[in-house]
Amino acid sequence: MHIPDGLITNDLSIAAAVGMWIIFIAFLAWSWKKAKATYSRSITALLAISSAFVFAAQMINFPIAFGTSGHLVGGTFLAVLLGPYAAMLSMTIVLLMQAFFFADGGILAFGMNAFNMAIIGGLSFFLIKLLTRGSAGNRRFIPSVFVASWLSVMAGALVAALEVSPSFAGGIMVTVPSMLFYHAIIGLGEGAITAVLISSIQRMQPAIMGGLTLLKEKTKL
Amino acid sequence: MKKHLGTAALIVVFLAVFIPFASSSPDGLERVVETFGVEEHAPFWNGLMSDYAIAAIGDPYVSTLLAGVFGTCMVLLAGFLLGKAMMPKNLEVSE
Repeated sequence: MHIPDGLITNDLSIAAAVGMWIIFIAFLAWSWKKAKATYSRSITALLAISSAFVFAAQMINFPIAFGTSGHLVGGTFLAVLLGPYAAMLSMTIVLLMQAFFFADGGILAFGMNAFNMAIIGGLSFFLIKLLTRGSAGNRRFIPSVFVASWLSVMAGALVAALEVSPSFAGGIMVTVPSMLFYHAIIGLGEGAITAVLISSIQRMQPAIMGGLTLLKEKTKL
Repeated sequence: MKKHLGTAALIVVFLAVFIPFASSSPDGLERVVETFGVEEHAPFWNGLMSDYAIAAIGDPYVSTLLAGVFGTCMVLLAGFLLGKAMMPKNLEVSE
């Protein structure tokens, strides 16, 4: 889902890229402020390691149908582990390294990519909170993680489809349906992987899940 | 600290095991771009290791693995610095 700078092809694309940079910066500032105020114990080690894992996992593309592949985004995974605010910051780091060192995702397009994956991924936390009524012990917890992961990929794909549409002759009429089509399938992989990872961690290391502690507290928007 | 280094090492093992199985098919967005024949222009930034490969290393597995390990270390370091910057100064470091 990483939009390359090569897809920023005309004035409207550039305007969209600049606009998404501004929106992303606003969310980044908000998550930074909230993150600084939110965590009552150090999550530094968990943040570093889970971000590194997400980076590694994003390198492993899995095949879906139609000669197409997808990979874990990991936004919902990070959101459950770290809470929404640190998840946004964590994913921003992953995307930054990808763009800077590996040219995976553009620089001009960075605001778009960061919004689609880091911000939307972090926001998926609130859906899980809503669906589980704020309890990780709720039997709907793992299904909620699956649904939120799938939806975070679909929402990211939808926004990406709108963002890249100026470069397509058919505009949103072609980008939206086709992006949603492929990502509906990729999202199933996202949901399955995230659900398996989270349920394993919940069983083996429940104490490390900082996001879960936040679930119980009043996580105000 | 030892425990954390162990977990970080597991990420490298994960990469070493799964890289050969990673699909090289286009991802969802790339597929859409190909299908509708959009011409991408050349990017102005090619990164240091474009496409997760180190140009100087011929073997694609070793090249991708080393690029991956490098990226993992960079994210670890940046994540650690972010975590440090984010936490209140007087907070005791748990674990």
